[in-house]
Amino acid sequence: MENKKNQRRDFLKKAGLGLATIASVSAFSSPLPTNEEKKRLAMIVDLQKCTGCGACTLVCKNENNVQDGVFWANKICKTEGKFPNVRYDYIPTLCNHCDKAPCVKVCPTQAMHKDENGITMHDTEKCVGCRYCMVACPYQVISYNGEKPHKRWRSEEKLMVGTASPKELNEKVGGDTIPYYNPERAETYPGIRPKNVVEKCTFCDHLVKKGEKPRCVQRCPSKARTFGDLDNPNDKVVSLLGKHSPFRLKENLGTEPKVFYIRNFNPGKYPR
Amino acid sequence: MENSNRRNFIKRATLGSVGVATSAMILPKLKAFSQMTKNSLPVDSEWKSTTCQGCTSWCSQQVNVINGRAVRVRGNASSKVNMGEGCVRSHISLQQVYDPDRIKVPMKRTNPKKGRNEDPQFVPITWDEALDTIADKIMELRDNQETHKYMLMRGRYTYMRDLIYDRMTKIIGSPNNISHSAICAEAEKFGPYFTEGEWAYRQYDIKNAKYVLIWGADPLSANRQVAYYSAFWGDSLDHMQVAVVDPRLSITATKASEWLPVKPGEDGALASAIAHVLLTKGLWYKPFVGDFAENSAINRFEAGKEILEEKPGDVFQEIHTHGLIKWWNLELKDKTVEWAAEKTGLSAEQITRVAENFGKAAPQAISWVGGGPVMQARGGYASMACHVLNALTGAVDNEGGALKANKEYTISFPSPNDYIDAIAKAGKKHKKIDHRGRKEWPVLSKGKSGGGVITNNAAEGIINEDPNEIKVAIAYFNNFAFSCPQSERWERALSKIPFLVHCTTNGSEFTQFSDIVLPCSHHMYEKWGYVKSYANGYRHVTLLQPSIEPFWDVKIEETEIPWLLAEKLEKRGFSNLLDYYKSIKDPETNKAPETDKEFALFSLKYATQTLWDPNQYKGGDKFSGWDEFSKVGVWNSDPYPFRKRWGKMKTKTKKFEFFSETLKASLEAHAEKHHTDVDDILETCNYQARGEKAFVPHYEEPLMKGTKEEFPLVHVDFKSRFNREGRSANCTWYHELKDLDPGDNANEDVARLNPIDAKKYNIKDGDRIKLVSPVGEIECNAKIWEGNRPGTISKCYGQGHWAYGKVASEEFGKKPRGGNNNVIIPAEYDRLSGATAFYGTTRVKVVKI
Repeated sequence: MENKKNQRRDFLKKAGLGLATIASVSAFSSPLPTNEEKKRLAMIVDLQKCTGCGACTLVCKNENNVQDGVFWANKICKTEGKFPNVRYDYIPTLCNHCDKAPCVKVCPTQAMHKDENGITMHDTEKCVGCRYCMVACPYQVISYNGEKPHKRWRSEEKLMVGTASPKELNEKVGGDTIPYYNPERAETYPGIRPKNVVEKCTFCDHLVKKGEKPRCVQRCPSKARTFGDLDNPNDKVVSLLGKHSPFRLKENLGTEPKVFYIRNFNPGKYPR
Repeated sequence: MENSNRRNFIKRATLGSVGVATSAMILPKLKAFSQMTKNSLPVDSEWKSTTCQGCTSWCSQQVNVINGRAVRVRGNASSKVNMGEGCVRSHISLQQVYDPDRIKVPMKRTNPKKGRNEDPQFVPITWDEALDTIADKIMELRDNQETHKYMLMRGRYTYMRDLIYDRMTKIIGSPNNISHSAICAEAEKFGPYFTEGEWAYRQYDIKNAKYVLIWGADPLSANRQVAYYSAFWGDSLDHMQVAVVDPRLSITATKASEWLPVKPGEDGALASAIAHVLLTKGLWYKPFVGDFAENSAINRFEAGKEILEEKPGDVFQEIHTHGLIKWWNLELKDKTVEWAAEKTGLSAEQITRVAENFGKAAPQAISWVGGGPVMQARGGYASMACHVLNALTGAVDNEGGALKANKEYTISFPSPNDYIDAIAKAGKKHKKIDHRGRKEWPVLSKGKSGGGVITNNAAEGIINEDPNEIKVAIAYFNNFAFSCPQSERWERALSKIPFLVHCTTNGSEFTQFSDIVLPCSHHMYEKWGYVKSYANGYRHVTLLQPSIEPFWDVKIEETEIPWLLAEKLEKRGFSNLLDYYKSIKDPETNKAPETDKEFALFSLKYATQTLWDPNQYKGGDKFSGWDEFSKVGVWNSDPYPFRKRWGKMKTKTKKFEFFSETLKASLEAHAEKHHTDVDDILETCNYQARGEKAFVPHYEEPLMKGTKEEFPLVHVDFKSRFNREGRSANCTWYHELKDLDPGDNANEDVARLNPIDAKKYNIKDGDRIKLVSPVGEIECNAKIWEGNRPGTISKCYGQGHWAYGKVASEEFGKKPRGGNNNVIIPAEYDRLSGATAFYGTTRVKVVKI
């Protein structure tokens, strides 16, 4: 076990170096995490603040150029009770970046791995598309590209004479497959993932490396998300976890998820 | 053990895919590599300020432009209204501006036949040809002295609207500028106007509130200030209770302490009962309303008992209000909780609990009036009944209460009077096509008979050529053939107009009936303009600015298009419009505009000069000049002056009017105009009140089309948190996230039934069904859902497009994707405000297909 950890660390060091190189040539200047500053990054979702709007899901798709039908950030929602005592519940989900990530454990090529900040990262070059990780993940947050992504945007068919085909539009505006393509995503990971590999949330590692928060944290309209370092006693995530009684999804599986939930989505004060 | 089990499972599960995986082993590597090298790092990235008009929150936003492309959206942190936040729908705008189905070039119709099933056979033309054709048509009207047969239809707008909507229509010479306002929420303004003299929406101070009672509004999803309320809702729940009155479980209802699933159309009954409780339990806010006179023999409100005063003030001494005792006697004394429970389908226990907790929280107790109870036939009185609770709790103009808009200082465009010639003057004298002001259409906007618009009734005017035919019409940023109830009437009306021009981004339903199509800029990314909105105790004026270069041949509909048209008219010997436009000069250089682009920018600088010019400074944020204002993108007002209007309201009595002398005067003036009395007007307009009851907030029964026997369910329309008004349906994000509207499904359009009704009508989850109303039918899928009040069927507005684009429609121009609620909602109105009824109006039956 200890041995394994060391191996991973060595690997991470190497991987980290590569990433640091990429980040340093970025147009954005911001503090880079050095090896001395290893973090255990985590996210807290305050369900009382959450309004179940799905902005996390949408901005994630936007930030990471995720194709239709695939969600790196998703949700579990259900309606419970009988009229008129009905409640609707909502839990936003994403990769839990588990300390003991089953997806990393089962990956035969180490494509799925932990980075220096505890982010469960994925390497599309190593990925063979076996989908062991998808089966191993208890949270269903890994997706597989069965076909080349963004099929719709490669279509040359147009609606009518005075309109463009998706392909024509993309070429006209200089996008990359999609016209609102975000090139920043490609700083640490393929901007659009190829066919026959898996993909999932990376805690927006490309932003984190520049000292920014993941996009879902930045743009949550109800400011429900807090992102930080569990190993830093001064970090807000630590104080929030201390203040509330957090829970995590499927804690009994021992995966040690690093996405925590606090408070209740429903404030109802009577049975519902 | 568990681990090995899982491993075995994995083995089995992946066996099937091994073949795929091995053959794909090499390929993906190469592809991954090519993606990595192909993508260059961003070199040119900046955030540009603009405004989102996805709903009428009008949040100040910023667009991240990378290498000339819009990539990300965020709230503008400089706004004190949306405080750097933006809601989920703001991001969908990226799929709108980059919608491949946007119209690239002007087009003309080549199929002379118009109708629902006629392919217009559009062909591309130049802007010159398009504008020449339009100018010829307008000149023909002017030559024949029939400029009143010209019409301008406006949907969504910025405040540059007056240049095309008002000034251009007047200078051409027509009374017929018809806005969309009455399909928005005019009835919401009716209650506040006739009680406190404010024809406007309110802002609600949730940061300081203790109780919020919400009527048919869903502020965490839709209209207004979704970003602001979403940002502070969670923390506010620590100090405020929330009760939501809505027949369906909205997201706000689930994020509330209480859900009151009222029977559609019975909101007014609940409002009167809550007022009854506040009075009988002594919970009204005495520093605002007043109290019983010390020497009065009567010192409390007793159910069923009239209170007789010899002269006002004998028994009850009001402070900042007027007519409490009259209101009690005319409406409230018998409106007990038990009576309301029967009407509303809610438990007496819940009504009492909500009313008492609401009253105990005074004055930080808000009654929040949304479109639900008021955009109904007779909704004006529900608007009063719900809004007036703010006075009983003293929440009006108070901390933690219901506030008006802050003051702002934008400048109106110059008067067009000097440019209106004799032909135009004669044309303008004709009556309007929507019939406002007729006996059956009081439309008392700002108290004036015929003072507002009746958007949806303009279709009748056009069809019946009443008061005259419409020969030439221009429309922009609208889609009445989709957005107006009983939309089939608009299909007939538009088919009848011989020459119709549509300024639009997408080929919508409305476009299908047009002769000329003019491709327009996307408001958030390609347009100059400004809008105003308010929340958080502030008002902001936020700019719409081009952040990207338009990639198609599009123009701004409120400025560039009218300018170009004015140039064409000038070439035909009619220069008045261009002369007028040239009078609006750049305040910085005093230069008159010479091109459409200059006009777009100069007119915006003109209208906002007092905000950015330090020499013209009047209040709020201060800027060094236009450049700084443009960069920041938003001006904020001074903070809200609480309680300044107490005793100084813009009503007849200067007080908050429980007995509305203001409404009495308006109704009497309208009656007098038609040589009759108020009771006759009320009868003509389908209201139940007679006598003095017409002047107090009161309950009126809902007016629904169809019999209960034939159409057993009541239709509940609602708006999606993803609706960018009706314009999201061609975005794939809209469909794949649609299940984030509680009860809805992704990639479907569903009508939701309670399991009780599903059993009764033998409908199963997922069944393909038809909703049939007395005026139309639509197809969608059935969803069995507990969040629906039994006896109702709720369905979201937004889908059911048969045009608009490939994603929005099943088959463009022919078959809708899902069902448009407006096909089944009858054209019905709150005639006192002109508002179109959307809610509590439609009975339907469900037919399995």
